[in-house]
Parts: sequence; C-alpha cells; structure tokens
Amino acid sequence: MPDRKKDGKKESIEEICYGTWKSIYQYIYYKVQNREEAEDITQETYVKAISYLQNGSVNPDKYIGFLKTVALNVMRDLWRKKKRRGPVVDIDTYIPKENAVEDHSENSTDRLMIEHALTQLNEEQRTVIELRILKGFSVAETAGLMNKKEGTIRVIQHRALKNLANILKSNNLMGGTTDEST
Amino acid sequence: MNPHEKIVSDFIDQLNKEKKPKEDEYTTDSDELKELFQTVKLVKSLKEPAMPGEDFPVKLVKAVEEQVSRKQTVKTRKWAWMASIVGIAAMFALMINILFTPGSSNIVKAMEEAYQMINAYHGTIEIVETNEDGESVTQAKLEVWANKDGNYYIKGIQGPNKDYITVNNGEKKWQLQPDKKQVQIFPTFPDNYSFIFDLGNEVNDVKNALSVKEIGEEKIVGRKTTVLEVTPKGGSSYHLWIDQETKLPLKKQSAMQHAIQYTVTYTKIDFSNSIPNELLSYQVPRDYAVIDNNPEQVVNNLEEVQKTAGFTPTSPKTIPDGYIQERIAVLPEQKIVKMFYSTKDRSKKVMIVQGKSTGKFKPVPNATLGKINKHPVEIQAPFYEEAGLLGGGIPYSGTTKINSLRWQQDGLEYVVVGQASLEDLTVFVENVVDGQLEMPSQNEQSSFKPKVEVPYDLSVEENDQKNADAGSSPWKLDPLFTTQVFVSLKMSPEGITGEYPVSIEDLKLIQNTGKTAVVEVTGDQSPIKRVYLKRLIRQDATGIWTVVGYDPME
Repeated sequence: MPDRKKDGKKESIEEICYGTWKSIYQYIYYKVQNREEAEDITQETYVKAISYLQNGSVNPDKYIGFLKTVALNVMRDLWRKKKRRGPVVDIDTYIPKENAVEDHSENSTDRLMIEHALTQLNEEQRTVIELRILKGFSVAETAGLMNKKEGTIRVIQHRALKNLANILKSNNLMGGTTDEST
Repeated sequence: MNPHEKIVSDFIDQLNKEKKPKEDEYTTDSDELKELFQTVKLVKSLKEPAMPGEDFPVKLVKAVEEQVSRKQTVKTRKWAWMASIVGIAAMFALMINILFTPGSSNIVKAMEEAYQMINAYHGTIEIVETNEDGESVTQAKLEVWANKDGNYYIKGIQGPNKDYITVNNGEKKWQLQPDKKQVQIFPTFPDNYSFIFDLGNEVNDVKNALSVKEIGEEKIVGRKTTVLEVTPKGGSSYHLWIDQETKLPLKKQSAMQHAIQYTVTYTKIDFSNSIPNELLSYQVPRDYAVIDNNPEQVVNNLEEVQKTAGFTPTSPKTIPDGYIQERIAVLPEQKIVKMFYSTKDRSKKVMIVQGKSTGKFKPVPNATLGKINKHPVEIQAPFYEEAGLLGGGIPYSGTTKINSLRWQQDGLEYVVVGQASLEDLTVFVENVVDGQLEMPSQNEQSSFKPKVEVPYDLSVEENDQKNADAGSSPWKLDPLFTTQVFVSLKMSPEGITGEYPVSIEDLKLIQNTGKTAVVEVTGDQSPIKRVYLKRLIRQDATGIWTVVGYDPME
C-alpha cells in the first residue's frame, strides 16, 4: 500500500474505521442480532458520519459516541422506512459534540435481568430456548436432543417466548418499536 | 398449529444463520409477534456477537472512500499520539515480564500462613468490567464482612444490588431487599451464592493452581503489591495482586473472556477477630414481608421428625472423628429431612438429606458412578449440578468446594453433601445405610474393553475442546448425548434429519469414572450394544467426551 502516505485522506478514513469499527459493529449487532444487517448498517453509518469526523466537528475521544448516535439514526431511518411512516431524520439536525447514546450492548444489568428471566421458565421451556437461541440448534436438532417431536419443540418455544416477553415487559426491558432509543 | 409458532421459529432460524429475517418487529402488524421477535433478540443478545469476516474493515474503508472520493476535505492527523502511547505501554509490559523471574512457592506459603492468622475481615470491594476496547465501567461496590467459618455479611453500595444486604450466619441465610420491603430466605447449605473475592477461596485457588508466576510489582490503593499470574487447572490464567505487608490478595483480574474482563479490588480492608454480632443476627424490619419458598422447620429429635415428615430417617451409626451433630431440620411440605454436622471449628460441614424416592433413580450425566449395597451412587466431586432431593437441576458456576453422593435404597433417596473430603463423606454414607461404598476406579477399569476400537485424532479433539470451552457443541460435554450422536450416525451414515434414530431414553450410563464412561444402548434398532467414551483432553466437568470404541449388538 505504498500510495497511502501520499494520500492523507485515505489514511485518515482507514484509521478512523480501523480504530472504531468493532465497537460500532457490536453496538449495531446488539440491536439487529444478525451479521448481514449489522454489516450493512455499519457501512451506511460510516458513509454518513465520515465527513463530520474528518472536518473536526467531533473530538476524537467522542468518535465512538458520535458514531453510535449516527448508527442509531440510520437504524431509525430504516425502521421508519419499513413502517412507511414518519419523516426521515436529517443527520445535520444533530449536534455531534453533544450527542451520547445509551448503549445497552454493554449493560450488564440488562444481561442479568434477561438471565434472571430465563431462570423463571420451567426446565423444559428454558432448555428449548437455550438450545434454539443460545446454542443455535435447529428445531430438528433440538427435537433430537430433547427426544421430542419438532412440532412439540415449536409449541414449547412459543410458550417460553410468550412467558419471557411478559417477564421482560415487567422489567421494562421491552418497549415499542416506533422510537428505538433502547 | 398456531401460525405464529412457525413464524417465530423461522425468525430464530434466520438469526441463527446470521441473515436478515424476512419479517421482523418493524414489519409485522401483529403485536404478539412484535413482542416475540424482540424477546428472541434480547435472549440472543446474551451470546457474543457474530463478528464479520477478516476482510470486513478493508471492505468498509473501500466503500466509505468511494462515497467521499468526490468531496474535498482537509484533515489533520489526530491519532498518531495514541499509537505512540500504546507502543510505550506495550514496551513497558514487556520489560516487566522480562525483569521478574518465576519463583513463587514462597509467596504461596506466605499467603497460606497469613490467612491462617486472621479470623475475620471487613472491606470494600469494587468490581470493574472492561470491554475489548479497554473501556471500563464500575459494575458494583460491596461492603463485605467475612470470617473463616464461611459466614458473611454483604451490603451493596453501588450496582444492581444497591442497599441489598445478604447474610449467612451458618444457621440462616437471608437477603434484605429494601426496595421490595421484603426479606428473602435461602437454604444455608449448600450455599451457591458466596461473594466474589473471598480471601480464603483465593488463597486456596492459588495453592491448588497448576502454576503461579510472579510477574511484577505494583502500587495499588496506596499499598505495595506483588503481581502473580495464576493458571488454574483447566481454566484461563488470571492476575492476582498480593499485598507485600499482609501477604493477602488485594486485587484480581480475570482473563479477557467473551470480550469482557473483570477486575475486583479491595479498595479498603481491615482484619478483626469476628464479625459484629448485630450484623449476623436475623431481624426482620417492620413492614417487611418474609419470603421463604422452602421453610425449614428445626426439630429436636427423631420423634418430632416422624410426626412432621411422616417417616423416621436413619441416623449414621458413627460419624468421622471431629464432627458433631448440629441440628435436624424438616421441610414439611416436601417431607424431606436434613441432618447437619460440622467440625468444631466449622471448617467442614456435612448435610445428610433423606426423603421418599419419587421416581426412578437418574444420576446427572457427568457424575461418576459408584455402588453401595448394589445400588448405583451418583458421585459429584466437586458438586456441580443439583438433582433429586436437592432439586433444581441448577449447575453451579465454576468449581465448588463441595462434594456430594446420592443414591436410592429401600424406597428412600439419600444425599450426603458436604464441604468435606470424599473420604469423610464416605464414612457418613457407609454408616447411614450400613454398607460399603465401591468407588468407580476400583471396580470398573477392568470392564473398559471395547470389541471395536474407534480411532480418533487428538488434534481434532483439542480443537473440539476449545470450541466447547467457547460454548459450541455443548452436547460433547454429556456422555449420553455424545453416544446418541455416535449411534445415530452409525444408523444413518448419510446424516441425521429429523429425530435421532436412537432415543436418549434408550441410553443408560452404566459406568462413569470421570475419565472413562460406558453407555448401554437398549433400543431395538441399534446395531450397537455398548459405547465406550473417554475424556481425552480434560478430566473434569468441562472436558468433552470422545467415543473410543463400542461393542456391536450380538
């Protein structure tokens, strides 16, 4: 990569991306929980944010906070488009230096609450959720491991998630989807 | 079938494949599905994120460059100084590693001696969580009182359990929850909630570690310390800071695991003769409700037990030297009797639990199996999973210092569980039911002779062990599931689709020494009668099982 030294702009973009992408990707991944979307939204975030980072609007030690704010707005735009309602948020209306987002991807209290919610399920339901979501087994594999029919696994899974949703709602861990600040 | 069951299941499958789901909480019109999708994501957030491929940063830079290539921007370099600081820090760390040579037996001995000198201590613990990018957050602060009998008083100063007070005075364990205005009662033993960074546990862990290396010196909270790198048996290395004056641990830093590292520090610590009595006395504040899900009723003699539990439990004819009977308690609803024993200094505690058998005896799969009076005995050393009379089926995190033996005989189920050696517990077992406990290593090695040997590649197994350590393929940690997969693949070499051809109910663990296991297959279709397994890489509860041979069906 011999031309990089001569081209200051290229080097800066690279350094910004290399120094921050992991945190931003993880933050987005926490919201979408799949790699495909997380990669797309991460890219979109940097495209929108890079000029602000390059023109000195943001202090380097606030890069991650700013990028998280932009990422959240990219996601909000996407969600609004999906809903086909509400205006698309203009990034220029944000004050980069002041922005800070609440990052639940690093919130261990939330983790504890989710883990605690899992312990409130009965053993069968908890096993299905652990095998299906945490271990990533297919319905067929889960059925094999638990010696049950595939249809039964789906029924248990559905009931378990409904129970979990109620517990998580009572802990304020789930809200609406129109304004995804959490 | 409820159509939502399939939709949610497909949603989970898409996320498991790390693909964008066809429908999500933003596109569905169903409130129920919206909630279920959100719930799935919250649960999945407990897992580590699936990171993109190695070339992702390169692709990202290229895509961003293409977008901004037409814009003229002037920029200044702001990052070089960070790189130089990182460089200096790395060099400094390297120098420390080179300067201090290994040699740690003295400090381990000094730690043991120092701990023996103290009776109780009082301190403030700070728990800090650091992520992969080096960003740290204080998770909790606790005020701790602890003594060598295993009693403690813990008050949350900051964090999720702020203002909660948890006490175990040896006879009762409770937690005051001021926000809920309630007192929650827990069983005193076995106590799976001890507090993090108990000095006795730390000294013991260092003593039993695979290796201990002095790697430097550092001043923390105004005290000079020696930094140790401790590698436990079967675990990641961690760092421990030992106060050079008191010879006791002041700070502990775990290895970075799943992108998170914990640092626990005693920001303040004093030593004393005892925990103040008022802190260990059970008192329910006015207006507080008492929540006790398993109320234990203390009884004075076996007649009272008979009245309350409906049967007369067996008392051990003799108990090991040094032990005394503490008390007998009954769980009236479950008709379970608990007899408590301890040594005078309370460093060893044993509990005998008896209740009517409610079903066929089913040992937890990872327990070793012994025999008494021809009945199988589940041996957990160390105790890992609660089953049977101890209920719950909850795995204990990490290694406990507790051992347990469980079996059924003459319509009763017995558990002997204790913070004591397996030898002491064996004396209790043999004196409760009058028999001789046969340990697995004595009687079962001779029968580990498969007729057909199954070859294995140790490097593949080592890799599988690493994967299992990272949470993948959990079935490999269970000898029954490992057998189920092996036999199923023998029956369907082209792969398993749908249900396994051999049911887990058709598999019976007939031998488990902790290092080797034999599983008997009883299904009609199975071409295999017995499967022989070994823990090739690590011989504890975290070790994977590998099939090394089998006996074909005759």
